[in-house]
Amino acid sequence: MYRYLILLLMMSGYANAHEFTPTYPKLKNSYVEGVLYTTMTLFNKRPDVEYYQFNVFDKDWNKVPFAMQDKTMRIKHLEKKKIDVYIREKDRKEVKYICSKSKLVVGGSSKTSISSRICSKIK
Amino acid sequence: MKKLVILLFCAFSAQAEDMEVVGNVQSKCIVTPDTAGVYGNPTPDVLSTDPTDGGVDPVVRFDVIQASMYKARILYPTSFSESPALNDVVTWTGDVATSQVSDTGMSGYDAAKVEFDNVTEFSLTVAGSTWFKTETQADYGYGKAFPGGVYRAVVSAECIAI
Repeated sequence: MYRYLILLLMMSGYANAHEFTPTYPKLKNSYVEGVLYTTMTLFNKRPDVEYYQFNVFDKDWNKVPFAMQDKTMRIKHLEKKKIDVYIREKDRKEVKYICSKSKLVVGGSSKTSISSRICSKIK
Repeated sequence: MKKLVILLFCAFSAQAEDMEVVGNVQSKCIVTPDTAGVYGNPTPDVLSTDPTDGGVDPVVRFDVIQASMYKARILYPTSFSESPALNDVVTWTGDVATSQVSDTGMSGYDAAKVEFDNVTEFSLTVAGSTWFKTETQADYGYGKAFPGGVYRAVVSAECIAI
């Protein structure tokens, strides 16, 4: 019990992370016939990142067509954004992963940067 | 008058009621860059993050709330994202390993890791935090000196639901 509490406290205390939920999103019918959608949440706790790119893949990591407000979105530090991802109903069986990837800014000193990507899975 | 006071008192007195506190623990993975890497330049033809070469290994932390729901996939760089013009081949090598764990059950992660190309995969089978360090080295040409300038490469840390 204490272990989970400590873990939760550790996770909530860090302000330098990339968080993308839910782990297993469910596709729902949208207001447009033949189009499904799911709502994802991205919480940007990385101060060095302001832009995230979104993609949808099949089980072999081939891109699947999808629509959303902006496929590269500005999400400020400590901002939490709900994102609707729209997928054609005919692609329902193909779609496997919805991913968000941090976009790094070019520049700075001679060092190795870390790009983060989190992928949720449609079961 | 006395009855009116009693009635008013009853009307405004606090009532004890049960209140619900609702919480929702959902499975998630959080990727946190912990340490930015720095290239050391031990010899003119080598850039390395190895601390013995004067570099700093980049470290990234993965937090998972529930076990066996995600795998960590870390890719060491195979090109510079920023560098001066290079006219010879750069050979890249790298290694990814755990540097710190929050649970002793994670001690088997290194033995169970899967490596191919520049990719290393770890199954996150225990809930908690794991720190992964990525050692990377770039060798230029055949003993050729790297031209002066800024060099930058990107380590990709991916958390993929399974």
